[in-house]
Order: sequence, then C-alpha cells, then structure tokens
Amino acid sequence: MAQHIVVDPVTRIEGHLRVEATVDEGGKVSDAVSSGTAWRGLELVMKDRDPRDAWAYIQRICGVCTTAHALASLRAVEDALGITIPKNANYIRNIMAATLTVQDHIVHFYHLHALDWVSPVEALAADPVATANLQNTVLNTYKLPFRAPDVSSTEAYDHAFPAATPQYFAEIQGKVKAIVESGQLGIFSANWWDHPDYKLLPPEVHLMAVAHYLEMLDKQRELVTPHVIFGGKNPHPHYVVGGMPCSISLNDGNAPVNTARLDIVDRAINLGRTLVNNYYIPDLLAIGTAYVKAGRVDGGGMAKKCVLAYGSYPIEPFSGTSNGDFFKNLLIRCNGVVENFGQGVANAKFTEINGDDVTDSSVLTESVEHSWYSYQKSDSDELHPWDGETKPNYTGPKTGTGTEWQELNEQGKYSWLKTPKWHGKLAEVGPLARYIIIYTKAQKGLLGEPTWAEKMMLDQIDAVSKVLNLAPEVWLPTMVGRTAARGLDCQLNAEINKFFFDKLIANIKAGDTKVANSEKWDPSTWPKTAKGVGLYEAPRGGLSHWIVIKNGKTDNYQCVVPTTWNACPRDDKAGHGAYEMAMMETQVKDPSKPLEIVKVIRSFDPCMACATHMFNAKGEQIGVLTTDPYSGTHVEMADKADKADK
Amino acid sequence: MDKRESMWDVYLRKGMSRRSFLKGCAALTAMMGLSSDKVAKVAEAAEKKPLPVVVWIHGHECTGCDESFIRSAAPLASDVVLNEVALEYDHLLSAASGAPFEAHLDEVIQKYKGQYILAVEGAACTKDNGVYCMSGGHTFTHLLQKAAAGAAAIIAYGTCAVSGGIQAASPNPTGSSGIAHFTGSKPVVNVPGCPPIPEVMTGVVMHVALFGTVPPLDSEGRPRQFYGNRIHDTCYRRPFFDAGMFAENFDDEGSKAGWCLYKLGCRGPETYNSCGNMRWFQGMSYPIQSGAPCIGCSNAHFWDEGPMSRRLPQFSPAVDVDTIGAGLAAVTAVGVVGHAAASVVQKKKRIAAEQAEKGSGEE
Repeated sequence: MAQHIVVDPVTRIEGHLRVEATVDEGGKVSDAVSSGTAWRGLELVMKDRDPRDAWAYIQRICGVCTTAHALASLRAVEDALGITIPKNANYIRNIMAATLTVQDHIVHFYHLHALDWVSPVEALAADPVATANLQNTVLNTYKLPFRAPDVSSTEAYDHAFPAATPQYFAEIQGKVKAIVESGQLGIFSANWWDHPDYKLLPPEVHLMAVAHYLEMLDKQRELVTPHVIFGGKNPHPHYVVGGMPCSISLNDGNAPVNTARLDIVDRAINLGRTLVNNYYIPDLLAIGTAYVKAGRVDGGGMAKKCVLAYGSYPIEPFSGTSNGDFFKNLLIRCNGVVENFGQGVANAKFTEINGDDVTDSSVLTESVEHSWYSYQKSDSDELHPWDGETKPNYTGPKTGTGTEWQELNEQGKYSWLKTPKWHGKLAEVGPLARYIIIYTKAQKGLLGEPTWAEKMMLDQIDAVSKVLNLAPEVWLPTMVGRTAARGLDCQLNAEINKFFFDKLIANIKAGDTKVANSEKWDPSTWPKTAKGVGLYEAPRGGLSHWIVIKNGKTDNYQCVVPTTWNACPRDDKAGHGAYEMAMMETQVKDPSKPLEIVKVIRSFDPCMACATHMFNAKGEQIGVLTTDPYSGTHVEMADKADKADK
Repeated sequence: MDKRESMWDVYLRKGMSRRSFLKGCAALTAMMGLSSDKVAKVAEAAEKKPLPVVVWIHGHECTGCDESFIRSAAPLASDVVLNEVALEYDHLLSAASGAPFEAHLDEVIQKYKGQYILAVEGAACTKDNGVYCMSGGHTFTHLLQKAAAGAAAIIAYGTCAVSGGIQAASPNPTGSSGIAHFTGSKPVVNVPGCPPIPEVMTGVVMHVALFGTVPPLDSEGRPRQFYGNRIHDTCYRRPFFDAGMFAENFDDEGSKAGWCLYKLGCRGPETYNSCGNMRWFQGMSYPIQSGAPCIGCSNAHFWDEGPMSRRLPQFSPAVDVDTIGAGLAAVTAVGVVGHAAASVVQKKKRIAAEQAEKGSGEE
C-alpha cells in the first residue's frame, strides 16, 4: 500500500520548508509536494522607501546567500536611474560575488549536505591508518588541475592541505566517540543513521569526511574576509548605489582600502583556491563516484527537461540591463534556456535570454494556482512581475487545522511560493543549469570563441566525465550531477575571484582609484518615473530584481529568486516544479526514514526565506483573506494610506 | 535526569591536562572582555557547572544570525557546539529532519526542563494566529511558547528576535514583533544586531555556560559588556568628528583619509554595539572603517527611521554640521555616566527636524 510521508521541518537549509511524498510499495514516489511554509512580506516593506536604501532592506531576505540580494538590487536601481558604476566598483562587486559563491558552496557541501552522505557513527568503525592512506589516494585520484590562465599567484605553496596521518584521524575519531558515548549527541541527534545509504561508503570515507566537516567549519570564516574589508562585515556587508563605499587610497592608513587591506583580500582568495582544490573537489568526486558506481544516477527531474540562467560576471561596467548592455560582455554567457537535455545534446534546444526578454511581459511570468495567493481574474493567469498581484489567500491544509497541519492539499493551494515560468514553462536554475547551458551551447557551436571561464567549465565537465566514465548527458542531470556542478562552480569562482582581484590591482596601478559614481546620488537628478531590472547568477541560480521608482521613492519592488524557480508548487498546465520532479525520480528504501528525499532536496541547496517573501506589485491595498474553517473567515485590509501619512 | 558534564569533566574525559584547561579558561576570560584577575573565577565556574543544553529555534528570519555565529573565531564555532554546549536542536546545523527531529525536541524539553538555554533567532509572527510562519506543521509562536516555558534562560539573537526586525518594518505585513510577549517571566538576554557580531553571539552563550547565569544586562536587557558603548564613542573616526572633519561624499578625499561619515548618514552616534571596539573578524573592520555609514542595525525599529543617507540632516540652515559636532561632543562629555542622554537629545532633534521637514510641504 502507498504511504504518505511528511518531512517538516527540512533542516540544514535556510528557512522553513516542508515536503510530502506518496511512496508506493516498490519505493517509488508517485506524488510529491514542496511547500514554503513562511511568508515575510518584504517587498511590501519596500514600498515608499528611498531606492538608495533598497539594497540594505532587500539584502535581509537571506543571510546565508548574504549579499546576493544586495547585488541584484543595486543593479536594478542603477538600471532604473541609468548609473554606470566605476571599473573598480565592478571588480570589487564581482569579488564580493565570487567570495560569496566560494564560501556558500563550501558551507553547503560540508555543513548542510554532507550529513546526508556521511555519518559520524559509521566513522567509528574506520581504521585511522587506512583513512590516512585513503586521504592520499583521494588527493592523487580526484584532484582536478584547473586554474585560470594568466592570473597572479601570490601563494608560495598550498598552505591549506588535508592532514593524512593516522594520529590525526585517530584524534578526530576519539572526539566523535566521546560525543557518541556521552549520550549528548548535540547536532548529531535523532538522525536516520541506520539508513542503508550510509553503507554505500566505506567507514574510512566517513571518517575523512567528518574530519573535513570540522576543518571547514573552522576555515569557512576566513573565506569571507573580502566582505569584511570591502563591506565592513559579514553577514550583510554594506554597499552604496553608484559603486562601493570602500574608497581606495594608497596614501592613507585610515583608508577603507589600501595595500594592507588588499593583502587580506588576496589571502582569502588564495585560501579559497586551495580549499576547493585540496578538499572540496577530491571529497566530492570520491563520494560521487561511489554513488554512481552503485547505480545512483537518479534525482535529475527538471534538469533533463528545462534549465535557465541569466548569465554572469560582467567583465567591465555596463550601462544597463533592460537596454541589453549587461549581456554584451559577460565572462560566462549562460544567459538562456536549454530544453530536453536529458535526450542528448542533439535533441536539446537552446534559446537565448537577452534584454528584450526580461522586459517582455510574455516571457517571464508567475502564476498562483497552487500558491496561497489569488489573482483578480484567474489564479492560472501568467502575470509578468511588473503586472503581478499579491493577495494572500491562506486556505489551510487538506487535513488538520489552519494552525496544526496534518497533510497539505496538493489539489488546491499549498505553498507561499508562487510558480515562476519562462514562456509558460517551469525550469530548474542553479550551478547545474549554468553548466548544462554552457556545455550545450559549446556542443551546438553557439558559443563562438569561449572565454577562459567557459573553457574551464568545459574542461571540468570533460574531466569529471572521464572520472565517472559516463557521458555528460548522463551524469549531469542527476542528484550527483547537481552536487558535482556546485563543486565545479566553486572551483571556477575561486579562479574568477583571482581574475577580478588582478584587474582591480592593475586598474589601481594605472592610477584609477574611483569606487563610486555620485553623479545621480541626488534624487533631484532622477526622472519622475523609472523602471529597472537587476540580474545576478547567485550561488543557487538566476536571481532577478525589479524596481519601479516614482517621485524619488520605491513604488514597486519585486524579486524572482532561484529557490522560487526550484521549489515552486505545481502548475496544472506546466506540471511539477524541480523539487517535486526530483523527488518523484527518487527511490525510497524505507518510507519511515526518507533520507533519499531530503538528500535530493538538499542537492538544490534550498533557500526558503529567499523564495517566500511576496509583494504587492502595484502597491494597492493588500487584502488578507483567511478561510480557515477552524478559526472562521475574516478579511483584514492593511490601509496603505496609513503609511503614507507616517 | 542524567548527570551533565562540566567543562572540566570534558577535559578529563578527553585526557587533557589541568594546564590546558586553565589556558582555555584564560582565553575565554579574554574573549569575554573580562580582566585577567577573573581567570580563577572562570576556571571555577567551568569546573563546576554542567555542560549546558542549547535549543535554537527559528521564526521569521534570514538565518544571518546562525551564519554570524559560525563566523566566530574565539571561541571557534566548532568548539562551542561540540565541546562547550550540547546544541540539541538547530535548523541550520542539526543532522536530523522531520518527525524524529521534532520528537527529539519534545524529549529535550522534558528531560532538561528548567535547565536548557533557549536561543531564538527571528521574529514572532502574530497576524492571523501566526499562520505566516509555520514549522513542523505548527505555528512558530506555538513552538516558541512551548520551548520558552521550560527554558532556564532565553537568548534573543538578532534584531528580529529582539524587536521584530525587517519584517516588522512598516507596514509589518505579517504582524511580526520581538519575542518578549511569548517568553513569560523567563530572563531574556537581548542580543540585537543585523546580525550581531560573531564573537558577541558566542560570548553570550559562553557566559551562561561558564557562570550559570545571564551576563549583566542594561535596562534594555542587553549584555553591558557588548552593548555598553555607543559606536560613536569607540569609533576610530571619532577624532575627526570632534575636529569637525567630515566626508562630504562617498569616495571623496575625506572618506579616503578616514574622516567622519556623520554627514553621509552615519548612525554611530545613536547606536550601542561593539563595532567600534571589538570590530568584526577580530578587529579587522566594521562598516565605518570600510567607508560605509553605520545603519544602526542594533537599534529597535531602525528600519523605520527614515532614509539611511539622512541622519540629523535638516537642522536650520544657520547651523552647520561642525557646530552640531561640537555641541554633541559636549553633550557626550556630560553624559559619560548616563550616555543615554545623548541619544534622547539626538532623537528629539531628529523628530523636530522631521516634523519641520514635513511641515515644509515635501509631501
């Protein structure tokens, strides 16, 4: 008999996520539900704010991918106001972005995802001598040699290297043993440690990975020091519309940026390169290979059908996004959609995304059939974000009460996420999407002369295909492929970080220290009405922010974020979203311990607070209609006039 | 209930020496901003008190506080969560998910009733019975009340938990607020900031762990050792404020030379936090040192205090900022003991300025 399982809360993610799945007797998931269970209403908060402050407010959407929303917001505001930032600001913002991506991917792999693959309990059975040998083998076998060409190397040798001595592993094992024996398991409490998946890896891999979990927990903080230098703190560093606040002076000890401070940035960039090369990539490939050898090439879902990205890293400053200039000088030209990748590159279709597409009201839309909102005309309408409506319409669960859920109603509304679409279709976004798009473009001869970064991506894919002995079309659109693409993206971003650091140094050396363009700082220089779009390939995928400015104030603010694409509820016409499809392509061995489900979900790196913060597009009155049969029905109207008076 | 281990027990179990234990205590003493003559007291506390259980729950938040916590250098986050406390429930780091995880929480609340530390990150969402923040199939406020009832002490981490934070900013679509209405008579340590400084976050836990009591608090429930000073009073750019030397624009010569950012909107003069003395990443920087005006992120309702680029901007044109600077310096000097006075004066000035601005018919 089919069983209905609920996992709520899904932990080791950002925010509040619930999944439900119907598992039939053979362990096949016949239906799956992904629900964002919190709504904060941040775009509503944006109404009437100073657009120059938007980055600070909207950055608070998420503290894990901290800075992602600030960067997209700055681009949206600068697009609206026609501001081109100085070269140094472009390089520094790219360093901020690459720094985030490197640190965020490492934290995801080791601290959010690893405990689905490795277990401290299994590590107790490891032989420390064999583990030391394994460490050497893993480094020899799985280290990928890629480096950006022609970038500086200020590191005499790799200062961060995994220890490979039996004594070290015995020490770590002793620590784990003491924790287990103390009866206070702390963060290791109550997991499904007896799940058969943990037996896919030998005990020595578990011990090695647990050791690296601890080392990376200590090291990850050092990776974000560029945020502390350029933005004053992390999480949530500071920015300014028009560039960066961190003025540069080689004449002042008090200067936000001088040689000593740049050296701190350089050190962090060097560390990122060595950590990803000596720890992350080898660990990832060792574990991934074991899974692939065990036949685990499932969990792809949407990646085979449709992936989307906006393109990343403007090499030099650009004059705007809605005018298309953003797309003209990208380091990674993954701006587009690949459909049907699962059927091989020959059958796959690539469609470009450019400036016209982001402003065309029929290309990018959202609908709310299964979201706790209602549209004026019909919930299945596909509204462009500019024309979007948000009227919360909480209908409660299928069984249980409005405040005590049992099962959500997959037939009706069940999530605070909307359903974003590209030409009426759902898509997956993220590092995997970026790699699939670049690979497909290259294979189809659509890339032209690849940039160094695109070439590195193609070389990485080629190398992993050799390690796994599988074609890219086979291993990429899987759970392992999604996890591997994130690791490759981390390695790529570590090099991109150095690339832009070198450009920054060269530009300062040439005598340019400008970091902020203040020409349009004064609102009196702004048009009465302006619209802007900001695109940014965040660690979790394509992110877009839209702003409408009227009379110097934010009239409308909205974001379509990566996790909304991936975790969205189903659409009656377009089908299931990426989370639900991936779950439905996953075999569950024991429905009482659905480790496979949370593992495939975490392969997306969920960021729920990002996804569930809806908005009132036009700033009209918001009606909250509660139709909870247990608490009665009532309507509350938040009076916007109130706020205007304040 | 099970006997809980003291820090000294842990050192014994790990076969570590008395000397390394005392060294650890000395490091902790320094980290907590206590003088070295307190080492003995710290050691005594660490020997006798049991290893505390921490339960960390999440309301309406962004997980930035969790992230800040794991950025701590002294103590390292790994040492805190694996050695100094038993972190039995936390959505970011805990291995478990779903029903077994929720059952474990209930077990911990029962087993350590009256003894565990409850850390709360995020605001309490109250509108429409709290349905805009559900976790484990329940409202967050339900979880908060349940967990608070059995806690020995509660730590409100971040401005969201203290005063509602970003989602409580006007028009507060989800009716969010700080957690105080749901914690009953339990002692609450308010640790505001968006997020708080990493070592402030770990420092508060360590204080409770070592001394078995919440750290000394000010009238707003904030630990005095971390929130006792205004950023303005500890700022490395303060001498330029006193001298009337201000950056006039982002990226101008003054900004490069480290002159005061007051005229660019800096809220340092009204913000109590450790950014000026501890700074971020062990003295590496803080927003002002990186050229960015303070946004006052540890102040209640700082999101609703007007545009960030305009602090104290609208005084009568006859008064220039240099005069204001000198005036405020005098107020501060008088207010060494009761420094809240400066903020009050400033707030009154600001309110007056804003009213004047409104009256002038801008809107």
